[in-house]
Amino acid sequence: MSESRRGLLKKTLGGAALLVAAGAVPVALRRTKLRQPPKGRPLQFFSPAEYSIWAAVADRVLAREATAATMEGDGAAQAALRGERRPAAPSPSEIDVAGKADAFLAPLPESDAKDLKQLLALFDNALFSFVTGGPARPFTQMDAAEQDAHLKSWQTSRLAIRRTGFQAMKRLCCALYFSDPLTYASVGYPGPPVELVKSVLESHR
Amino acid sequence: MIRTGSDSDLVLKPDVCIVGSGPGGAMVAARLARAGAKVVVLEEGGYHRKDEFDMQEATAFPLLYQDRGNRATADLSISVLQGRAVGGGTVVNWTTSYRTPDDVLGYWRDHFGLALTPPDLRPHFEEVEQRLGIQKVDLEDTNANNRAIYDGCTKMGWQVDTTKRNVRGCLRTGYCGMGCPVDAKQTATLTYLPDAVAAGADVYANCRVSRIEWSGRRATAAIGHLLYNEIETGRHVRVEPRALVVSGGALNSPALLLRSGIAGGGVGKYTWLHPVVAMGAFYKDRIEGFYGAPQSVASHHFAHRPEGAGFFIEAAPVHPMLSSIAMPGFGAPLQTRMGLLPNVCATIALMIDGFDPSEKGGTVSLRPDGGPRLDYPFTDRAYECFRAGMKAIARLHLANGAREIVSFHGTPLHITSESEVAAIDSAPLGPNLFAAFTAHQMGGCRMGADPARSVVSPQLRHHDFDNLFVVDGSVFPTSLGVNPMESIYGLASWASEHVRAAIS
Repeated sequence: MSESRRGLLKKTLGGAALLVAAGAVPVALRRTKLRQPPKGRPLQFFSPAEYSIWAAVADRVLAREATAATMEGDGAAQAALRGERRPAAPSPSEIDVAGKADAFLAPLPESDAKDLKQLLALFDNALFSFVTGGPARPFTQMDAAEQDAHLKSWQTSRLAIRRTGFQAMKRLCCALYFSDPLTYASVGYPGPPVELVKSVLESHR
Repeated sequence: MIRTGSDSDLVLKPDVCIVGSGPGGAMVAARLARAGAKVVVLEEGGYHRKDEFDMQEATAFPLLYQDRGNRATADLSISVLQGRAVGGGTVVNWTTSYRTPDDVLGYWRDHFGLALTPPDLRPHFEEVEQRLGIQKVDLEDTNANNRAIYDGCTKMGWQVDTTKRNVRGCLRTGYCGMGCPVDAKQTATLTYLPDAVAAGADVYANCRVSRIEWSGRRATAAIGHLLYNEIETGRHVRVEPRALVVSGGALNSPALLLRSGIAGGGVGKYTWLHPVVAMGAFYKDRIEGFYGAPQSVASHHFAHRPEGAGFFIEAAPVHPMLSSIAMPGFGAPLQTRMGLLPNVCATIALMIDGFDPSEKGGTVSLRPDGGPRLDYPFTDRAYECFRAGMKAIARLHLANGAREIVSFHGTPLHITSESEVAAIDSAPLGPNLFAAFTAHQMGGCRMGADPARSVVSPQLRHHDFDNLFVVDGSVFPTSLGVNPMESIYGLASWASEHVRAAIS
C-alpha cells in the first residue's frame, strides 16, 4: 500500500457517509470469520480480523476457478493454454499472501494505516454489502461466488472510492503473490538468468 | 566519496549542496566538482551496487523505487514507477536515450520565453552520449517483444525505429528495471557520480532533506536527517552552501519546496506524466518478454495528431509482478492470462501531455507526513488519446498476426479482428476503470521567463532566490514526447555553468 494513499475514505461525502453507516451496524452483523495466521510470526500490522479479511480477499483475487462474476469470454489466446502442462499455481495461503501483506504494510504511516483499516472494515461489513446489493453477510462469510460478485461490485462501482479500494487490495495481493518464485513455474516464467550473470561476473574477476 | 552513514550529526559548509543524485544532480555535481567547487550531494535513497541486484522483483521494487514500488496518484488511478537510490531513476530505467526534440525546444521558446536552442544543447548531448555509451540498437538485437512492435508498425506503414541505449557490454538479460546485475547499464552511479567523487565531491546516501532554510533572497541551509533502513537515526543534517541545487525529481523537488514554504510561481502545478495505457498481445509462439533488452523499439508515428494529444508506442518488460498488476480482472481469468506470460507482447502508448493550452496536468501537494501527494485528473483529451493509443496497439498486433489483443480495462476487451477494434471507443474509461502508469515524471517546477507562470528562470535559478536552483525533470514546461533521461542530463550539463556563476 502506497504512502500516498491517504484520505482514502475521506475524499468524498459519499465515503464519509459510508463510514458512518458502517459504524452503525450492530456488532453481530459485523462478525468476521476468523482465520489463524501461521504460527510463530506475530501480526505486525493487521488485527486478527483484518488478517482474515485480507486472506479471504487474496483467495478470490488469486483464485484458479471461475465463478459467474469472473467468467469471461473464452478468448482465442486463452484457448492456447489448453493442453499446456504446467505446475498448478500455488494457493495464496501457500505463499502466505496475507502474512506478507502484514509485513509489507507494517511501516505504513499512521494516517494511511487508519485509512486501510477502515477500508477493510467497510469491505467486510454486512450492512454495507446489503445496501449495495449484496448478501447481508460479511465478505469473510460469503461463499466463493458471492465473494467474487462482491469484489466485482467494488471493481466496477460508480463510487470512485470503492474502485480505489479494490485496486489497493488487488494490486498488493498480486504483487506479493506473483513476485514469489514459487509461482514462477505456474506462469511459465523460468526466472532470472542467474547462471549467465554469475559466469560473466566470474569471468570479469 | 560515497558515504552511507555517519556516527554524528552532519554539519557542512560546501560551495554547492545538491539534493538528489539522479541524472540532474549527478551531472551538476560532476561539472562543478571538476570546476573546483566543493560539492556535497545528499540522497534519500540507498547506495546499491550490482551484487544486490538479484533480478527478483520482490527485492528490486522495495529497494530501488519510491514508496517501495507502490507510489501512485492519490486515487491510485495511475501507478508511478520512479527510482529512489544513489543514481536516482538511472538505476531502474530501461535505458532508452533521446535528445530533447527540436520541436519541443521550439514550443518552449514560443510559449515560455526560453532561449534554449538545439545548437545550445548539442555539445552537451554529445558529451553525455560519449560518457554513457549511448548507441543505437541493431534491429537484430531486439527481443521478440520489441520485434513484434517493429514488425507490426512496419506492416501498418507507420514510422518505427530502434532506440538508443546507454549500455556497455550489455548481456541483454532483460532486468534493467531491477538494477543492472553486471554494470552494463551506464547509470549515474557508475558515471557522473564517480566523476564528481574523483574531483572531490562527497555523496551522502540515506540522507533525507526535509526542508530548505532561507532568508531574504538566499537559501541558507538544507536541513534533514540520516536514515538507516528507512528509519530516521536521530542524526541531524545541516548543510549551509553558497548555492543550493534541488534535483529530487519531478515529484520530490516540488514537495521539498512546498515543505520549505517556497510556493511561488506555481510549485507543484503542471506536472506531466506521459500517462501510459497498455495492452497485452497474445501470440501463438513464445515471446518471452522477460528476457532481452526491455525497450529497444519505438514508434513516434502518432506524436503529432491534429485530432488530439499525440502519443508514442514502446514495449514494456514482461515480468510476473508488474504484469499481474497491469493485467485486468481478478481470479481465474487473471490466472489464465498470467499463465500465458511467455506468449504476451506488452505494448504501451505514452500520451504526450502538456502541449494544449487547456491542459493543466497533475498537481503535487503535500501529504500529512510531508511526502508528495500527486493528483492527475483525467480529461476528455486524455481519454481520446488513450483510446487512439489502444486502437493503434491493437491494429499493429493484428497486422503482425497476434491471436488476440487484450485491453487493460477492468472488464477487458478481447480483440481478434479489425471489426472488434471499434469496441475500444465505447469501453468505459475513468479512474481505476483501466490500468494507467507513468514512468516519466516531469514538470512541477517549470522554467520560464515569467515569474508569475514559472518557478525557475530560463537559467534554472529560482525566481525569488539568488542562490537556489532546480535542476531535474521538474523544470520541463511540458512533457517531451520522448524518454526523458538524456534530456535531463543535457539540460543539467548546460545549467551547470549558471550554478557555477552563482558561486563565482
